[in-house]
Amino acid sequence: MRTKQVSKIFLIIIACIVAYIFLLPLMFMVFTSFKGIAESVTSTTLLPKNWTMENYRELFMNTSTSPVMRWLANTAVVTCAGTALRIVTSVLAAYALARLPVPGKRFILVALIWAMAIPEIVTFFPLFYIFKQVGGLNTFWPLILPSGSGVMCIYLIYNFLLAFPKELEEAGFVEGANVFQVLWHIVVPSVKPVIVTQAFITFLGLYNSYLWPSLVISRNENRTITLGIAALVLGENYTNPGLMMASTVVSVLPVMLIFMFANKYIVRGFTQSGIK
Amino acid sequence: MKKKTTTAVLFVLPFILFFMMFWLIPFVYGIVMSVSKYSLVKGNQGFVGLENYIKVLFSSSMYNKSFWLGMKNTVIFVILTTPFLVLGSLALALLLDRLPDRVKGIFRTIYFASYAVSVTAVAAVFVWLMKGNGGYLNNLMLNLGIIDKAVPWMEQQPFVWVSLTVATIWWTIGYNMMLFVNALNEIDTQLYEASAIDGANFWTQLKYIIFPGIKNVFWFVLMTTIIASFNVYGQTRLMTQGGPGETTKPMIMMITSTIMDRNDLGVGSAMTILMGIVIVLCSVGQYYLTKEKEELR
Repeated sequence: MRTKQVSKIFLIIIACIVAYIFLLPLMFMVFTSFKGIAESVTSTTLLPKNWTMENYRELFMNTSTSPVMRWLANTAVVTCAGTALRIVTSVLAAYALARLPVPGKRFILVALIWAMAIPEIVTFFPLFYIFKQVGGLNTFWPLILPSGSGVMCIYLIYNFLLAFPKELEEAGFVEGANVFQVLWHIVVPSVKPVIVTQAFITFLGLYNSYLWPSLVISRNENRTITLGIAALVLGENYTNPGLMMASTVVSVLPVMLIFMFANKYIVRGFTQSGIK
Repeated sequence: MKKKTTTAVLFVLPFILFFMMFWLIPFVYGIVMSVSKYSLVKGNQGFVGLENYIKVLFSSSMYNKSFWLGMKNTVIFVILTTPFLVLGSLALALLLDRLPDRVKGIFRTIYFASYAVSVTAVAAVFVWLMKGNGGYLNNLMLNLGIIDKAVPWMEQQPFVWVSLTVATIWWTIGYNMMLFVNALNEIDTQLYEASAIDGANFWTQLKYIIFPGIKNVFWFVLMTTIIASFNVYGQTRLMTQGGPGETTKPMIMMITSTIMDRNDLGVGSAMTILMGIVIVLCSVGQYYLTKEKEELR
């Protein structure tokens, strides 16, 4: 029993060391953002010797190079609209596929599986060209609309519904409810765990996506926060690490808060994806 | 019955429209572009058959050179990252599995948290951690006397590969770990206890209980990791811009520069399709790998 206790403590020590390594880049990011430029390029300690808000002041003042508030507002619009769009189209389609006589159902299901296997890079450039032709570049449309095709999301909700008893819904119909009432009062509450998880995963994906937005958005004030920070990283004149880390903190903070809040749902998502 | 079909059609219709507009049509369009002379500015200039593919695969054009260089760089990246991302994440999951329940959740969240940040943030942080001149790591090591000259982590090979690999592992290992954590949860704990009574050590358990139990997840993680590493773009774009030279310019960066800089949508599409084929083959391989194992059992 004693050796068991000792090995537990040993494991916790290892876990702490690993945790320190994982947290190091994040701590570096936060602490460097409070260092002045002279200190940050020569610094050998994680914690700042002189705490300063200078970087944050400069970041928020310089609205021509880094319109951070604008970027955050853009991101809010794109992520919320995209997530809502995906969830609505997915729930409707998944319900129909699981419960209603959809013509060509087998064909649709096979198409879904193929679409999941083919990497999205294959569709990026033709789609970019289409948006260019219709004048959709530098608008929110190319960032929002493709979310409507949530293949994975539909597949997961569909699978969940298949395993879920349909007696409750049938009872609802017998009681004289119409299909929308059944959908809203019976189906949505029962698939809620999948929906919440998928909503968070979609949100994170939209918030963090880089390649696709970098193709369709080039105007500074139309960028999302992730794209904006990328422009700063690539910017030649941006040589102050403190300022760089301040902008990164601003970009990471919202998503980290949501992550901490949604952690339980995201973890649950891994059980749902049904990989055995 | 007829009313039900109408409802069904109305319900799938929004998705079908979005799927066609933003997946199916671009997908088919991409194939059409790959067999045409196509430019961003001039549009379609006619059908050319397999000429673009021949240009990319066989001829001694600059496209051929960049395709194979991009392929080589991508494969190097896959080989460097995959072992750590698969075996490392398994090790982390095994560590978590053995921790007391009370602290398990905290450590799981810490190890997984880095997955929530964007590639942009990863790049910004690691550039300033690793930068040869003024980077934190060099400052620290110089100060401690471990090195007496700054290491060019971001400027010279093979150090640049090390930086990219470390950044990628830090960013994505948590995802694989979560998949393994779930798989390990499904193993019956009585098996561990019974085997411990029989005197089995950790390695015997790993071989006879753990690995057979998580085999399918293991192949899944391996294949998805290879595919994800094959799709590398952000880290190289933002951390190294493909440099030094073109040594860290992966496939997707070659494709974007073919299309955006050289204005050749046709050849770029052919490259994309070829890359897509490689990735689909990986998925198909994983499918058969897990399927066959199941039948053998």
